[in-house]
Formats: sequence, C-alpha cells, structure tokens
Amino acid sequence: MHVQQSFKEDRGEQPEQSHEQARQLKSPASIGQRQVMVGRALLLVSLLAGAVSHGYHLFLYPLYITDEGIYMEQAWSVLREGMLSPYTYFYDHAPGGWLVIAGWVALLPHQFETFGNAINTGRVLMLLVHLASVFLLFQVTRRLSGSLIAAVVACFFFNLSPLAIYYQRQVLLDNLMVFWVLLSLYLATSDDRRILTPLLSGLALGVSVATKENAIFFVPVIGYLLYSKVRQRRNYRFALSFWLFGMFAIISLYFLYALLKNELIPTHLDFNLINPPADHVSLLYTIWQQLHRSQGSILDRHSLFWTFSLDAWLPKDTLLLAGGAVATLVNLFLGLRDRGKNRGELVAALLALSYAFYLARGSVALEFYVIPLIPFVALNIGMLAGRILHMVPESRRLPLLAGSAQALILGVCFAVLLLPPGGYVLVHDQAGKVVPHDLYKLPLTTLQAQQVAFIRQHIPPGARIVMDDDLWVQLHDVQPYYPFAHSHWKASSDPAVRDKLFASNWRNIDYIVLSNKMLIAMQQNNTNGGENYILEALSHGQQIWSVTRGNISLAIYQIQK
Amino acid sequence: MSWSPVVLAALTGGHALGGLLLSGAVAFSLLLTIQSVYTLYIMLYTWDRPEAYRMTKAPARFLPPQKSFTVMLPARHEEEVIQTTIERVVRANYPTSMLEVVVICSLDDTGTIARAQQKVAQLHRQGVTNVRVLAYKQKPINKPHGLNVGLRNTRHEVVTIFDAEDDIHPDIFNVINTVLLEDPVAVVQGGVQLMDYQSRWYSVLNVLEYFFWFKSRLHYHARLGMTPLGGNTVFFTRDVLQRVGGWDEQNLTEDADIGIRISLLGERMRVVYDDRYVTREETPPTLSQFIKQRTRWSQGFLQTLFKGEWKQLPRLGQRLLAIYTLGFPAAQAVLGIYIIVALLMLFIVKVPVFTAILLDLPFYLLAAHFTLSVIGLFEFTKAHGLKLTWKTLLIMTLGYLPYQWVLAYASVRATLRQVRGINNWEKTQHVGAHRQAEALKAPMPGNPRSAPLPQL
Repeated sequence: MHVQQSFKEDRGEQPEQSHEQARQLKSPASIGQRQVMVGRALLLVSLLAGAVSHGYHLFLYPLYITDEGIYMEQAWSVLREGMLSPYTYFYDHAPGGWLVIAGWVALLPHQFETFGNAINTGRVLMLLVHLASVFLLFQVTRRLSGSLIAAVVACFFFNLSPLAIYYQRQVLLDNLMVFWVLLSLYLATSDDRRILTPLLSGLALGVSVATKENAIFFVPVIGYLLYSKVRQRRNYRFALSFWLFGMFAIISLYFLYALLKNELIPTHLDFNLINPPADHVSLLYTIWQQLHRSQGSILDRHSLFWTFSLDAWLPKDTLLLAGGAVATLVNLFLGLRDRGKNRGELVAALLALSYAFYLARGSVALEFYVIPLIPFVALNIGMLAGRILHMVPESRRLPLLAGSAQALILGVCFAVLLLPPGGYVLVHDQAGKVVPHDLYKLPLTTLQAQQVAFIRQHIPPGARIVMDDDLWVQLHDVQPYYPFAHSHWKASSDPAVRDKLFASNWRNIDYIVLSNKMLIAMQQNNTNGGENYILEALSHGQQIWSVTRGNISLAIYQIQK
Repeated sequence: MSWSPVVLAALTGGHALGGLLLSGAVAFSLLLTIQSVYTLYIMLYTWDRPEAYRMTKAPARFLPPQKSFTVMLPARHEEEVIQTTIERVVRANYPTSMLEVVVICSLDDTGTIARAQQKVAQLHRQGVTNVRVLAYKQKPINKPHGLNVGLRNTRHEVVTIFDAEDDIHPDIFNVINTVLLEDPVAVVQGGVQLMDYQSRWYSVLNVLEYFFWFKSRLHYHARLGMTPLGGNTVFFTRDVLQRVGGWDEQNLTEDADIGIRISLLGERMRVVYDDRYVTREETPPTLSQFIKQRTRWSQGFLQTLFKGEWKQLPRLGQRLLAIYTLGFPAAQAVLGIYIIVALLMLFIVKVPVFTAILLDLPFYLLAAHFTLSVIGLFEFTKAHGLKLTWKTLLIMTLGYLPYQWVLAYASVRATLRQVRGINNWEKTQHVGAHRQAEALKAPMPGNPRSAPLPQL
C-alpha cells in the first residue's frame, strides 16, 4: 500500500521522484491505477467511519457544556445583534470561531433551532468540520509519509478514539481551529508549485489563530515545513512572504477591531495585573493577563496538566496518548537523524511536541484543550505504524502477498481496539456483558432538555434567572424569551449584569438553574467573591425540580425572599 | 428573526442617510478590494503558474537565421542617444543582410537627423549599409505616424520597433527568429526593462512596474487573447501589420491599441521575457517628465477604451479584461484618492467597527502590493546581477505612497485632458542614464557627411 506522493524537498523545476514514485512508474499502469482506487476507497472508508462515530448519538452524548453554550450565544449575538457577544466582549478569545458558527447558522432554514436546539445545530457543524478534518488528515499524513497505511491508521485513531469522539462532538473553538491548522498543512504540503497555495495556507493558519490563539504554537513548524518544501523553487520568495502576509493579515484584523473600538491598549498603558483598569476592556491587557496566568507546569504534580491527563484524558484513551507519545519521540529521533530523508517524521513529531509544550508549560487550561493534540498524536502513530508495516518483506513472485499481510495485521489490530479488549466501540459493562461504549448508547442531553421544558412550563419569562451558558440560546432565541436569564459567569463578573441587573444582591435573583458541575465552577470561580451573592441566593433556594443520572445532577431552585 | 437587518445596522450604525452613504462606501471598498486582488494576481501570474513561466523563457538554443527583420527606430529630439542605439542594433548577432534598420524622424527634428546621419555615414564607411534615415514632413508629428511611414518604406518579413534610448541584447533577433520558427505566431512581444532603479526616488517603483508588466502581466493577457502590446521590442509579421492597417495615428498609446486590434483578428501572440534578453531602458529623468509620460499612457488607454473596438472581442472574459485594463488608470486615480479619504474616515469620522474594517480592506491589498514590490525588487536585482542596498529599500518604502499619489495625479490629469479634448503628444525626454558610463563617453565622430535624406 505505497502511494504516489511523498514529502520530499523540491529541487529545481521538476519535482524529484521518490524511490516509490520511480518504482511505481516502472510498474504497469494498471497497478498505479489500482493504487489510486485503493487510496480513494480507504479515504471513503475513513470518512464513513468518521461520519458514523461522530454522527451517531451526536445530540445525546456528551452532556452540553458551558463552553458550547458560550460559543452558540456569541454566534447568536453576531446574527441577532451584530455584536461579538451579548455581554461585554473582553477579548478572552478571538472571534473567528463563532463567526464561522454564525455563518453556518445563517445558512440554515430554521437557524439555531434547525436541529432541535442551538447546541445541536452547532454539533452538526462540528460533525461536518470533523469530516473535512478527516479528509485533510488523511492527505497530510499520506503526503508526509508517502504511505497509505499511515493515513489509514492516523484517521482510525482520529475517528474512533473515545477521547477524540468525546471532545470532537462538542461545539468548541478547538475543533474549528484544528480544521484550519490541518487545512494550512494540507496546502503547505501541496506539490503544485504555485504561490496561491502557500498564500491560502497562510490565510488558513491566520484563521486558525483568529479562531483559537494557541494555534500560534503550530506556526513555526508549518513555517519550517513550507520553507523546506519551497526553498528550491524559483518563486520561493513570493511563496514564503505571501504565506506570512496571509497569516498576519488575518491575525491583524483582530487587533484592528480592537483598535477601532479603542480597546487595543489599556488606559494610561496600565498593565497592572493586581488592579486591572476598570474603564474599558483592552486586547493587549487581556493578552498580558493570559500570558501571566499559570496553573502549574508539568513539573508541578498538582497542575491542571497532570489533573486532566490522569483524571480525564488517559482514562478515556490511554493507548492514543501513551502510544502517541512514544511514536512522537521515535519520529523525532528518526527525523533528527536524517532530516533530508525523514523530514515528514520530523514535522509530524514537531507538530505534536509544539502543542504538547503549550499544554505542559502551565498556562490556564480546560479539559478540552487536549483536542488539538489528538490529530497530531494520531499522525505520529500512523506514520510509525506505516513505517513498521512497510518492513513486511515484498515478494516479486507474489506482489499481493505483502499487501495482504499488511492488511491482515492492520485488520487484527483494529479489531482488537474496537472490541472489548481495546474498548473503542464495544466494552464490558459492570455485569460483564458486551455493550456499546457510552458514546454510542448513553443519552445525557435529554436531562438538559427536561430542564428547559420545566423552565418553560413553570417559570415566567420575566423572571431573573442565574444559570449556565448551555441553556442561554434556548431561552433567548425561542419564544417566550427569557431576557433576564444570565449565566453565573456573567452574573458574577460582568458589571452590566452583576451591578445593574442584580445589584450583587441575592434578593434580585428569582431562580437558579443548576448542575453539579456549575456549582463546582461557581465555587472555583469565586476567588474575588463575585459569586458570593449567587451562592447566598442558593442557600435561600427551594428546589423545585431535580434529576440525577450517574454523576450528573441537575436542579432548579426558586429563591425564597 | 431575520439577521440581515442586523448586519445592515451593524454596518451603518442604524442611521438612514449616513447608512446609505456608508453602504455605498462599503460597496466601493469591496469593489476596490476585488480589483486589487485581481491586479495582484495578474502581477504574480507567471510566478504562480509554472506552465506559464515555461512559455516566457527564451529558447535555450538558437535555430539558424531564417527570418528577415525590419528594425524601425522612431526618434524625436534624441540627439543624446540615437547614435548608440543605431550602433547596438547594427552590431547585433544576426546576418546584416537579414536586417534592415531605419531611423524615422520628422523633418523639423534636424538635430536628431544630423546625429543619425552622422552615424549612418560612419557605418557606411565601415561597410555597414543596411541602415538609413527616413524623414517625414506631414502632420501629425508623433510615433504612430512615423511607424506607418516606416512600414510603407521597408520590406523585410518581420517588423520590429525599438525606441531611441533602447539598449537591445545582441542576440534578440536570434531569440525571435527561433521563437517564430518553433511557434509561428503573428506577434512576439519581447521583454523591456527599465534598469536605473537607483537614479531617482521614483525609479525603483517605476522599474518594478515594468518588471511585473513584462515578466508576468502581459503573459496573462496573451493567454486570454487580449494583449495591449508594449511600444518597443515587439515583433510583428509584416502581413499582420498590413491586415490591421498599421498604427492609429491619433492614439497616444498606439502600441496598446494595435495589440487590441490584432487580438480582434484572433491572432495568437507570444510574450518572451527572459532576463538575459530584455531591452534595457531608463526611467524619465525628472518627475515632471514621468508625469507627462504616465499622463500620455493613461490618456491613450482612455482613448482606446472609448474607441470601443474591444467590444468586438469574441469572449466575455476578453472584453472584461479590456475594460479592466483600459480603465485601470481611472481605478488608479480612485485608489490614490481613496487612500486619503479612507484614512481621514478612519480617524475623524466615527463609523461602526465592522464598516471600518470593510473600509480598511483596500489598505490590506495595498500592503500586499507593497510586499509584492519588495520581493519583486529582490527578484529584479538578482535576475540582473545587481546589488540591493538598504538605502534603496528605504527609499522605496518612503516613496511608496507618494508614488501612488503621483500615478493618481497623472491619471486625473489624463482624464481631464481627455475631457477637454487635448490630445497632443507630451514626449518623454531620454538622457541615457541606463547606459554604461563608457558608452556615453564614447567619442563622437567628426563633421557629418550627410547622405541624401529621403523626405516622405
């Protein structure tokens, strides 16, 4: 299963043929044609696997989370208010992601409610983005390694790892960012020798940064990849400079926006982190603040990196992360040993390591920040697997024998992973019975649907509600509207909500719509006491509705004044 | 709830009249952005398209000479440079018998005629007899008239033009002979390149305009079959010139005009830009001369646009390209003015932020154009073995916007001249700044022994 294209440094005007290409050209045309067909078929299978694994049960699992709600409400604000946020936008993230979500919603006949509710509508976009990302990962892996096996293996993990599915179904900026980074890589690995392609690669990378700023960690590696790719071409100066130009042009729009709003720099250039300037938000201040936030580096056992790794990520898929780490290090070794021959391996390893460095350096992280790591550890595993399987000796007498042996080994490995020993799709339940993984059978979001239904039946639209963001668009976009329903994040920190609507007084809250996770978040978010009045209201609340399933508890409290 | 009114409100700030104006400004900005993107693309065309680049290359090996050439040297007040030009043409690496060289002047230009005749006499003494001077006395006194005179009084198979200040490559006829033998097209446009990129503040940007025009943009035109040709180093088959009826004597850019008329015939054209074989020229010696030259070009394009022959081009793409190309000076004027207006709006007029971003898009394209120019300068100096200095880069950076304004001014001036019906030829002065110092210092021959001058 060798393929036509491999990542090689260009020399001169004619693309240099790899050994594989040369060998292929000597082969009968029918063999080349068959390989093209096999390549297409495997890509199709990968796409179908992605569609099923991510599409099936998409609306029911996992639970809608706060961040999904935030991005949907910000997309709502773009479409309904012409703003970047229904609250004060304080440059916590660049807006590229929810502008794309808004564009998607604008195309739909029933907009936010097309697929039942806003987050479902966002999740359908995530499914489409995932499929596009599968296509891109397949092609990028193939180009970097010259191996179809590598592409298939990379997409297998990207599609079917429970860790991947869990986060990739959610409406998160990271998923959109990954798509743009992969698109940039796909364009940067193109052999078409044009200038337009690097320019588009730069634009895509710029959009990825404007979607989620931590994409900036991929920039040096993609820059290196492109440089090594185009350096020998006659148009390399244009290619590299327009790649850079495209990227900076897009990123600069973010700064231009802040400049035009007079929100680029803080008043009096006050970057004091202890007493933030209060008169207006500032992009540079936010960046400064984010650069100085730390929740412990990899050296700190209690840092979020280790908390998430051990409690959330590894339990979901140990093989992907542990195997990915090993594959990355092996690829790095191979790449450093012979950069000319193994540049693809070097690039793959550096992509994974550059993002791992971001995670490990100890800035503020959330659980789903692992998302951008997933395709690149999958890429490394794929490339190493491809290299190992190509060691199967080939026979001239029986040319199909090696391919069949490779397919057989691969098939067995995949089967082990999909079946209970691997636990990707089928697992043993507590009774020892073989059942589908929770990803494919556990309906969780129905609990949130019941919560919304209860609100609509029993709470008047004029009520002042504190809740989580996952319900926000439902209550603001579907009649009857609940204009005074706000997230506890804004009720505790946005002066327009905290001081004007609630006056920081628990008696001004009528209802609290709660989940156990929201309660934890309120307690963790209360370092400056902003949540105190909400917690006090809760202590005066009477539970009027609740539901519990597993470790998930949802409830609604009416505040007794 | 429909989102489009929200988007509109976000763009206009919700004000009706101001909204209308702002919507217009946004639409205009978007149009300008699209136009600029297109311009950038065609400037980069041959770098972007490997197959197009291959077509631009001169042949690696020359075929034996088979084509005979008539070289027309139209000259007016070119006393300073005409002798060197004649010398370079007749000394080209091509059989003398297959070259016919004519210097074409109006009869009142006695200075140029005298210097040309002096050179012809000198060459005759050396046994070089394939060069002569033609003088005409009828009006109008301009280049296309001179070319038509030359066309009627010459006979070789391929007709070409060089300007009096041109430094041609000795192998240019071998290049064209080979191209025509391998690909029998009606017209071959060779490369022309300004070289004195450090002589004046505007030289570097003027040089780069030529670089991108001949190295890239013309190839795009040739592919689409709508080619406004250059004024020299262009090679026509005599047959196509006769079929098209020669040059338009009323047109200020007769070169572009004849290119479009030949395109109308459906004739294929080739553009060959090889750094080794370009014809070297100089930038106008003063800003005033530069403005006059640019005014003439802009007005000539407008003349050709209003003449309307391009409407008969068979394909829509060709017609749109004709409108775009011939109307480009107008767009240039608008861009120059837009830069000032948009900057004022950005800092003085309070507009909604999304509108402001859209209004700023042309600035991004301007930045892209500047980037393109910087890289182009690297390419240009490398291609011609020249040294690029930080000083040149600094001058280019500082002069970039003023240069755009000068172009805009020339375009406005051209438009006003066209509206007022002023069509006189504002000639560009040449001093030979691009030529090697030693060539300029070459001793002039003594008293001329003039050959009898044919009056036409």
